[in-house]
Amino acid sequence: MALPLPTGLVPSEVSFLSEMELVTVVPRQRLESIDLLSGSTPTLRPPYRSNLPLWLAILLKKQRRANIVPPPWLHPDSLRDVIFHETKVDPHHWAPPPPPPVRADGLGNARRLNSFMDDEVVLSPPFLPSCTSDAPSGSLPYHWFEVAEMLLAHAGDDIPASSEVRSLLRDLQEVRAAKMRMSTAELENGVDSVMPLRGVGAMEVSESRGFVIGVLEGLRKIGTSTEVARREDEANKAADGEDDEGSDEEMGL
Amino acid sequence: MDIDDILRQVDPVRHSVPPETRDLQGLTRLWVAERSAPELLEWPQDGLIDRVNSRVKAQIEKVEEMTGDMDPKTNFALIVIQTELERYKYLVRSYLRARIAKVDKHALHYLSSQELRRRLSPTEIAYATRHQALLHNHYLSSFLSSFPEKLQNLNDTSGNVSMIDSPDPNTTVFIRLLRDLDVQGMGTDDDIKLPSQNGDIVILRWSSAKPLVDDGDAELV
Repeated sequence: MALPLPTGLVPSEVSFLSEMELVTVVPRQRLESIDLLSGSTPTLRPPYRSNLPLWLAILLKKQRRANIVPPPWLHPDSLRDVIFHETKVDPHHWAPPPPPPVRADGLGNARRLNSFMDDEVVLSPPFLPSCTSDAPSGSLPYHWFEVAEMLLAHAGDDIPASSEVRSLLRDLQEVRAAKMRMSTAELENGVDSVMPLRGVGAMEVSESRGFVIGVLEGLRKIGTSTEVARREDEANKAADGEDDEGSDEEMGL
Repeated sequence: MDIDDILRQVDPVRHSVPPETRDLQGLTRLWVAERSAPELLEWPQDGLIDRVNSRVKAQIEKVEEMTGDMDPKTNFALIVIQTELERYKYLVRSYLRARIAKVDKHALHYLSSQELRRRLSPTEIAYATRHQALLHNHYLSSFLSSFPEKLQNLNDTSGNVSMIDSPDPNTTVFIRLLRDLDVQGMGTDDDIKLPSQNGDIVILRWSSAKPLVDDGDAELV
């Protein structure tokens, strides 16, 4: 009954999650709206584009009922830009993630989709429209690897220059995997409490989670006594400081 | 529906996330968090699981009705509905199973205080209590009964050593920020404050991450 998997999402769960990403399709035949648990699907009318979850888009593609429009970041030029950024511009960090999605309102202002103004639920990947045809190019969304793999596997003929895209993706994956391994080498200079991984992807987190957590847990156990000593020091200092303040006040009085 | 409702639908300022998407996002977030957190998280108090369950039930009934007519046009819709139903059910099942795994691992810990008990759903409390009672009876009949009486407890805390195993709150976790803020974390060599942006992935200890996750400023990934 109980789930036998280790803590943290395993790759198959990550790919399940990424299948909820919205992608844009061009239907080849009419399909009425279907009432699903996650809401009704839009009525499909060729040649109008609609956004559907990836699992449904792939199902339609397999049955030759629709074509998938690849997201702009999957274009060879966009991928080359990202590789350039990863290798030349900033060889130590990941390329920045796409900007938070914005939506234009009726007054001519651009608003973030996730503003905290109303008590709406805050959306995060895979529910952000980061793989549709409106997504920005030149940066990789959180589920870039899984979505790209799945689109190449099931809808390779819809992607322009798919063999080139495939080899660029492989380059990108290698560059970024090396960075993930390097991130733990920085720990030699001291263990910081907060480690930023800005721009990392879901599959990259999933595959190196065990390694990174193992290293950090090991370091924490080795450093326990130092940490306890440091905290006691700080607590003593704080207590001394309070005493000083107290005496100052007394002096003032 | 009057004219205001219609205007509200087309006005992008008032754009709102439909309740179904909201629940799916909520359920997905709960599942990912439960899979990644080192300890059992709170059972959702807003009736999300009840809502999801009743919707799944209604959908199953609909599938049963639809299976009756063999019109090829509705046939495809049926396939789509069933596929989605299976995906949804997997999500709920995996969430509940991840919780059971944690309850099994540290049953006595979660039953030990009123505050921790509140994290469990009524069914989970019943399960944990009965399972623990069965286990203790089994131990008693197989070997504990031959011990001296004062050594027969499974929750002895005397002598500064607690027999109750509890999850380590300092385990490392990965979180994603949901708004721009400074992340404060406790570390071995230094406690630092790191300015971070919406959408950033950050590694830190669960004890430092928990307040952020509880306030909805961050989520586990």
